[in-house]
Amino acid sequence: MFVFSFFRIIKFAFQDLVRNFSLSLMTVMILVLMLLSVNTLIAIRALTNEATSWVKEQIDVSIYFSHDASEDQINEIVDYINSFPEVVSAEFHTADQELEKFKQDHKNSPTILSSLDELGENPLGPTLVVKTRDPGDYEKIISSLSVPEYEKIIDAKTFGDTEVVIDRVQSITTQVERLSFTLSILFAVIAFIIIFNTIRVAIYTQRQEIGIKKLVGATNWFVRGPYLMEALIFTCISIAITAGVVYFSSLFLDPYVSIVFQKEAFLTNYFTSNIMWLLSVQFGAVLILNILSGSLAMRKYLRT
Amino acid sequence: MIKLTNVSKIYDKKGSALNGVDLQIDAGEFVCIVGQSGSGKTTLVKLLIAEEKANSGKIEIGDWDITRIPRRDVPLLRRQIGVIFQDFKLLPKKTVYENVAFALQVAGETFGRIREVVPKVIDIVGLGDKMDRYPTQLSGGEQQRVVIARSLVHRPKILVADEPTGNLDSINTQEIIDILGKINEFGTTLVLVTHNKEVVNQLRKRVITIHNGQITSDQKEGKYKL
Ligand SMILES: Nc1ncnc2c1ncn2[C@@H]1O[C@H](COP(=O)(O)OP(=O)(O)OP(=O)(O)O)[C@@H](O)[C@H]1O
Ligand SMILES: [Mg+2]
Repeated sequence: MFVFSFFRIIKFAFQDLVRNFSLSLMTVMILVLMLLSVNTLIAIRALTNEATSWVKEQIDVSIYFSHDASEDQINEIVDYINSFPEVVSAEFHTADQELEKFKQDHKNSPTILSSLDELGENPLGPTLVVKTRDPGDYEKIISSLSVPEYEKIIDAKTFGDTEVVIDRVQSITTQVERLSFTLSILFAVIAFIIIFNTIRVAIYTQRQEIGIKKLVGATNWFVRGPYLMEALIFTCISIAITAGVVYFSSLFLDPYVSIVFQKEAFLTNYFTSNIMWLLSVQFGAVLILNILSGSLAMRKYLRT
Repeated sequence: MIKLTNVSKIYDKKGSALNGVDLQIDAGEFVCIVGQSGSGKTTLVKLLIAEEKANSGKIEIGDWDITRIPRRDVPLLRRQIGVIFQDFKLLPKKTVYENVAFALQVAGETFGRIREVVPKVIDIVGLGDKMDRYPTQLSGGEQQRVVIARSLVHRPKILVADEPTGNLDSINTQEIIDILGKINEFGTTLVLVTHNKEVVNQLRKRVITIHNGQITSDQKEGKYKL
């Protein structure tokens, strides 16, 4: 008995979808727009995370030791730095290595190289290049070395001013995220109203049929079932369309992304590797939206 | 079978549609309900099928107190009481067969049972040869017969007809009344609300007169009077 009712409910739901085709189309379109802006939000999140972690990787602190520093003193500081849990790597370069690197970096500027030759001796001291997990930790490293006992052996402590870059990246992404978040909410509200109206119109055009159903003893769930089923169909169709659009736009955008990040198929990989939870969360959210709005319409216009 | 005890129904503050109605109808009876327009006849029918709720009093169908019937039990009640209204409530886009089958579909009956029951009830109302027609291809009397057939699919113990012949000429009226008589003879309790004097006088059944929401007369083998 349950199975028969179930198939009939599906049948009635589809009949209704076709009967109110333009409204159904509009509902699906708005849902797709909403889902697309949500997915844009997700893609932007992924790209920003990738961008900031890339920028962060480029940052390091260089600790320049003075010529007077003894090997023991240098080793002490290297051990001290390595004892910080925040430190990811601490690379030691001897004075000669530094000189090589300097020459390498400036091999196209003969004036610098010749002035270096004029000096006769190596002006550079040994250097320790430190990388930490988080850019914020650099302050900590630097201040921990700013004590009197180390003043004599450490010439300078610098780190590249990449913080500004990270701030910029983050402020741009916050703006874009805020925009797409607002759009998502806006589309959700529009979708809610449109679904509400679609169900309302469906109830209105079928008021005779509903009246007869009730008169001949149809259960409430048989009367409401087709509208809930309609909500489910809207959800499935809009999710399917969105998944398709997202997949093809990822394919399209990936070459551009790979220019920036040197990563092949970044977006496609991101979406496909997270497909399960992305789909289920979005499906759940859209279904809840549909059912809430549909139920509200039924409560208002379908007194059973 | 049907028992009303001191039932009142008030739609709005202006006045009551039914006022302290006491009524008992036994199983297998054929009862005519007459009364002026606005006297409360349809209200009584709606209370019986729980489309409206009484403001006070008690309504029983069989052993079932339906006065405060919960919403989810209404469908069960509707399958035990068949209803026929003056406006033939048929779906224009469904054939005779489909309209009758619809009542079984919404109750979750199997295809097999539907195929078995539907032709039977359509035969009872004499439309066996017109099963594939659409309502617009039928006369008013034939349409009302389809409605009767549909009301019979659940084998109701009670059939309530609210002016079933209101839109029909005398020949079609006679046909409908004959079918209702036949259904009553099968054992179904019949409540017929009507304005038609000839019908009431010819039937020679119990007649209940309602005036201003109150029962003013109740006669066995009665005549139409207002
Ligand atoms: N839904 C409603 N809301 C408010 N008042 C109503 C409603 N239905 C009926 N009434 C009022 O209740 C009274 C009884 O109405 P009812 O329909 O029962 O009369 P009736 O005897 O069936 O009349 P008729 O012979 O014209 O069909 C009338 O005064 C009517 O105006
Ligand atoms: Mg009436």
